[in-house]
Amino acid sequence: MEKVKTEKLSRNALSVLFSNLAKASEKQQKYELQESWSRLSENYRESTGDADFPDIREELVRSLAEDYPEIRKKAQSLSDRGVLRALVWGEKVTTIQKSLIDRYLSKGESLLEGKDIFICEACGFLYAGTETPALCPVCKAPSSRFSKIQVPAK
Amino acid sequence: MYASRNISLCTKDCLCLFVCPTGATDTENGQIDREKCIDGCRKCVDACPSHAISLVFEEYPEPIPGDADLSGMMLGLLQKKSSLEAAASALAGEKTDPGAVKLAEALRRSFRIVGEDCAREAGFLLPQCDPVRKLKEVLDLTDIGE
Repeated sequence: MEKVKTEKLSRNALSVLFSNLAKASEKQQKYELQESWSRLSENYRESTGDADFPDIREELVRSLAEDYPEIRKKAQSLSDRGVLRALVWGEKVTTIQKSLIDRYLSKGESLLEGKDIFICEACGFLYAGTETPALCPVCKAPSSRFSKIQVPAK
Repeated sequence: MYASRNISLCTKDCLCLFVCPTGATDTENGQIDREKCIDGCRKCVDACPSHAISLVFEEYPEPIPGDADLSGMMLGLLQKKSSLEAAASALAGEKTDPGAVKLAEALRRSFRIVGEDCAREAGFLLPQCDPVRKLKEVLDLTDIGE
């Protein structure tokens, strides 16, 4: 796992870092600060690459086999329970992302006919179905933390 | 530290009105009056049976720094999640089948949330912490306050 220095972060990685700070500001009820970080996050946002679902799937499989075990080993040696928690959630969510792609690649459009995808805003867990889950199976957040995925207008 | 009510959790038992020494909790818009709220008093927070009131802090402690190598690895993972997000975003723009667009959009959102968690565990938890202050200097963003 390559160690990355802050100065080497890509623009989109900074966009993600900034949107996290916007969310933290909102929780602190500092709404002007939230607006500043949100605007910055949007300015740094990028939409790039020509990867299709199988390419994304392949990267998820690689990350589950290589990245997660390697970082976990390091976090265990340091007893960093915060990082270990993030790895538990991230690994489970990555497995779900991969399985959703697998199901779409095998069933095609019929997989999502008459169904919505719900996302847990706390950990990123995804669920394809007709009703909001009562509880997130990954992080145990309540149903109020779920959003329905809205498709952007073309 | 002043009190703040989450109106969607409030069950209107009004215990906060019973215990508030200044009347700050009794307002026409459901929000606690910050001008009247006593710094750190917290009587309404403890009295509320539905846990709808919490204290908003004005200062936060500096988070305990993690191991530099482990933080670097978490930034590496953030970098990968952000690349996946950018790819899913492009894919959502290119696809035309409704299921494919929805799946790509769901993945985009999910990669961002997991990436944000990596950023937090790499030390960028709060807007008011040293790693964020350093980053603001490097990127010339010092006009953003705390």
